[in-house]
Amino acid sequence: MLGRMEGPYDVMVVGGGPAGLAAAIGARDAGARRVLVIDREAEAGGILLQCIHSGFGLHYFKQELTGPEYAERFVTEAIDHEIDIVPNSYVSGIGLDSDGTKRVRILSDHYGLRTMTCRSVVLAMGCRERTRGAIRIPGTRPSGVLTAGLAQKFTNMMGYLPGKKVAILGSGDIGLIMARRLVLEGCEVVGVFELMPYSNGLTRNVVQCLDDFGIPLHLSTTVTEIMGADRLSGIKVAPVGSGFVPDMSKERRIDCDTLLLSIGLIPENEMSQSLGIQLDVTTRGPIVSSTLETSLPGVFACGNVLHVHDLVDFVTGEALRAGRHAGEYALGIRRAQDNIKLVPGDNVRYCLPHSLSTGHEHQIFMRCKEPMKPCEIIIGNIMRKKLSFVVPAEMIMFKIKPDALDRFQGDTLRIDIRPLQK
Amino acid sequence: MSDKKNFTCIGCPIGCPLQLTHEGLDVLEIEGNQCNRGAKYAQQEFRDPRRFVSTTVAIEGARHRRLPVKVTAPVPKDRVVDAAVEIHRIKVTAPVRIGDVLIRDLLGEKGVDVVATRTMERV
Repeated sequence: MLGRMEGPYDVMVVGGGPAGLAAAIGARDAGARRVLVIDREAEAGGILLQCIHSGFGLHYFKQELTGPEYAERFVTEAIDHEIDIVPNSYVSGIGLDSDGTKRVRILSDHYGLRTMTCRSVVLAMGCRERTRGAIRIPGTRPSGVLTAGLAQKFTNMMGYLPGKKVAILGSGDIGLIMARRLVLEGCEVVGVFELMPYSNGLTRNVVQCLDDFGIPLHLSTTVTEIMGADRLSGIKVAPVGSGFVPDMSKERRIDCDTLLLSIGLIPENEMSQSLGIQLDVTTRGPIVSSTLETSLPGVFACGNVLHVHDLVDFVTGEALRAGRHAGEYALGIRRAQDNIKLVPGDNVRYCLPHSLSTGHEHQIFMRCKEPMKPCEIIIGNIMRKKLSFVVPAEMIMFKIKPDALDRFQGDTLRIDIRPLQK
Repeated sequence: MSDKKNFTCIGCPIGCPLQLTHEGLDVLEIEGNQCNRGAKYAQQEFRDPRRFVSTTVAIEGARHRRLPVKVTAPVPKDRVVDAAVEIHRIKVTAPVRIGDVLIRDLLGEKGVDVVATRTMERV
């Protein structure tokens, strides 16, 4: 599956997961002739390749696919679009010429160290998992403590089981999926522990991954100690009170040889930072305009490097748009600068993009801070949207039509989520 | 006397809370669903709960040691673990194409086949 690497390119995409592949296809659809995708793994497809469960594609393909099936469709489509995909390669730096040409330094196992030029770049590096160090769990440092996604790769691709008796901290989707997965592989899953008073995963995953197998979900509970010399021998857990402080008087020991962490994802923006691209402190992804362009002209971002999504279908939609804009940019098509800032208000953790322009339709992505039901999303004085519920685990998306924005006179549009009286 | 049963729809990420009212085996009413799939799911869940199963099988001669597979039709909910145990018995050799049928009529269930969910070349 090794593609050519022959510049100059119109668009270069960093990352060959679902975001990168869709961005490349979007760029080609916009008319870009030469598009390159660089991926650090041995094959394109990204994390989808280890997500062997189904549930992908309901929005985009209108059918339920497994991760590898979804990935294979996009790899095939990218090849059909005559996109060069080069695996086993890293982008180690991007430089800018005065005329806006980007010089991308690529370290590739096949092509060696090369510098390729292009007109625009799409950042699609995805995200990585938070580790034990991020939440500083006290105790010893035995083997058997690992992130849920790493356990997923071991189990589903490499053929290693991470352990036999497993506890899971964090109720993110990967943790829930892995609970079921390990039961099917013959492991005992002793419980899922969640700091928050609600699950951080999708409801359907709590139902079909935990409830179906009788795995207990302990809300408002956290791991207070990790025990064991060489191998994990057990953990201590305790309920948390206000301020998430564990109530140590109720601490109890749980025997297990493995602790999986499903405690959040961080967009991988080290390269974005080295380029001086401005990041949003909440999403930890780049600040982007309505064309998903970062603060560096001609550099676009999409997928989990921009903000962590819960469904790949939404990544695909966003990445196709980013790719189209990157393709247009490469062809010299420029849109007028955005004239309206979009800012989060009451119970809004973040909203994207960071700015809008009149005369265009806009796709808005946002998340709430706290669960609320029923409620209303209030977009300045131009739009209101009633929802039966909102939860932080589920991204909220909607479109703002051009005519709605035309009526808006200000330069800052604020989004609030407020409770509705029943 | 009618009884009520609560389900959470797993048809999509919304996860509608469903309430099914029944008298014996007769379904009288389904509430809480935002679309048709929810009503169908509650009916199915009440009469004959089933689940799709995804797992992996050993593969030789490929880049990875495990090949992801799935069933083409759902199996009874209480036989999900049995299905996984049965699937894990087989070992395949690369190359495998996406959609290749690896087991027919899993657990004797007519029409429940196990298929590869990705292509793996021989290396």
